[in-house]
Amino acid sequence: MEKTDEMVGVVECAAVAPVGSPSVRRIRPWPLGAALALAAGAAAVLLLGGTHWLNQPAVQAWRTVCLAITVQALPFLLLGTALSGAINAFVPADLFTRILPKRAALAVPVAGVAGAVLPGCECASVPVANSLIGRGVTPAAAFAFLLSAPAINPVVLTATAVAFPGNPAMVAARLVASLATAAAMGWLWLWLGKEKWLRPFLRHRDSGHRHGHSRWNEFRQGFQHDFLHAGGFLVLGAMAAATFNVAVPRSVLDTFSGSPWLSVLFLAGLAVLLAVCSEADAFVAASLTGFSPTARLAFMVVGPMVDLKLIALQAGTFGRAFAWRFSTATTVVAVAASVLIGGALL
Amino acid sequence: MRRPAQTLLLTLTGIGLLHSALFTDTYLRYVKAGLRPLLIASGIVLLLLGLAAAAVRGERRDTVHDNRGSADGHTTTDPHEHEQGHEHRHSHAHRHGHDHSGAPRVAWLLFLPAASLLFYAPPALGAYTAARSSTKPVAVQRTGFAALPATSPLPLTLTDFTKRVQQDRTRAVKSRLVELTGFVTPAEDDDGWYLTRIIFTCCAADSQTVKIRVYGTEAPPANTWLAVTGTWHPRGALGTRTAQAALDVRRARPIAQPVNAYTDDLPLTPS
Repeated sequence: MEKTDEMVGVVECAAVAPVGSPSVRRIRPWPLGAALALAAGAAAVLLLGGTHWLNQPAVQAWRTVCLAITVQALPFLLLGTALSGAINAFVPADLFTRILPKRAALAVPVAGVAGAVLPGCECASVPVANSLIGRGVTPAAAFAFLLSAPAINPVVLTATAVAFPGNPAMVAARLVASLATAAAMGWLWLWLGKEKWLRPFLRHRDSGHRHGHSRWNEFRQGFQHDFLHAGGFLVLGAMAAATFNVAVPRSVLDTFSGSPWLSVLFLAGLAVLLAVCSEADAFVAASLTGFSPTARLAFMVVGPMVDLKLIALQAGTFGRAFAWRFSTATTVVAVAASVLIGGALL
Repeated sequence: MRRPAQTLLLTLTGIGLLHSALFTDTYLRYVKAGLRPLLIASGIVLLLLGLAAAAVRGERRDTVHDNRGSADGHTTTDPHEHEQGHEHRHSHAHRHGHDHSGAPRVAWLLFLPAASLLFYAPPALGAYTAARSSTKPVAVQRTGFAALPATSPLPLTLTDFTKRVQQDRTRAVKSRLVELTGFVTPAEDDDGWYLTRIIFTCCAADSQTVKIRVYGTEAPPANTWLAVTGTWHPRGALGTRTAQAALDVRRARPIAQPVNAYTDDLPLTPS
């Protein structure tokens, strides 16, 4: 088993090399590096000018919200990266392929339902989905899991029931619409998805335990690498979300609540920009009293699947080419699912 | 990102989390109280991860020297042994499988929250946010209202006061002296100011505001925490939606910011 794995890796290695991708990829980090250097330089200049600007009310609010999103997500990110590290190091390579149905089209809904077992918010599911692909799960099923896990787990559904007391239809609608979106996105990937959009190392599937290496050491290294990687992108996403959170006053929102169609699109967009954790978004949705139930459902279905910090995390984990296509398609599918199911149930 | 920097980053983030959640109460400015055990556990895990990375690195340094002998290191038989021992910036250029020795540059961003938690923690959200958000809608009380206790002044939360004013048909709050706590948010017009609490359910990103309009004194500086005693400011019909949640102030006493600043509960004073 181990031998063949190695062989495949070597062959693919040879096949990829002539394309000259190393030189391409060696260039790619530079824009990010330059941006970071610029940001560090700007911060240094501002700091030299005094720390006064850091204590402006707007900047303070921005720092508080940014730190709050990061701190709130860190435990769940750790859980997710620890799980993904454990899957890589300890789970036998063929376990998932044995459990899931052989036909990819069937594996998608099964993986979607399996999302219910990961109690946490969306940050945990990205690294886990990543390691599932690494263990040979078909990407379509892994993506269905990625989308459904943060939306349909018991913690989130309970929170939804608490936020909408006496309205079990809302919980049911959220469950059904999220599952439908996750499955639809999985099938959409089977139909239209291209593996070349994914990061190169994801295509090879030769990760996991290697003969002769300590499993614990592999676990620790995978955990550490994934956490640092995803954590950096988490901070990036938190910064973007905090910027929106502070720059746009909430009172502006009420102006959009009049039209039923616009309000659905508006709340879906708001869910992307606000990046509220999936365990809390039901409470935010409940507070948007001026909006129709369908619009609030769209907020709760889109939020756990697409938001600024998730896009940043996915771009880091799966690659930018994947992240923007996937996020756009998911938003469209999620809005459609919320409108259909909201119209039927609410 | 080089290995020593990774070790430092993990350790620093772990200490930052422990500092804010275990040794102080600063975490309450950012997240709900229920996250405390998770934050402490995360801090410990990160600290252990950092220490383990440091320990393993010290160990490996001895074994790497053997490989250095072979040309430039690229001819080592096992590419992974080489990757783990050798320090390099272009980890992504190795398309061969899972490479964990380097972390991408974006990880540097994690230094910001870590340093922020440790050295420069931003304050709880205040008047700036409250002034720009609309008031959280108060839930409708379905079960009817219990009789008010006889103490005077009567401590109430801002939400309870609003409910009593706008929903209690028995008008029990009429001419009662109540005590409310919150911080000062100046009103847009000059007539009066708001006593405010900011509430969140998970973290500061989902914050909501409850406000009570206060009449009768000059507005104190924004963000001052006050315990205000007074009576309902008669405007609108008490016990209906038309009643304004407002207070005629008798006395305003500055207080320390409560530990539970982000809830609408009666204040807990810092221990």
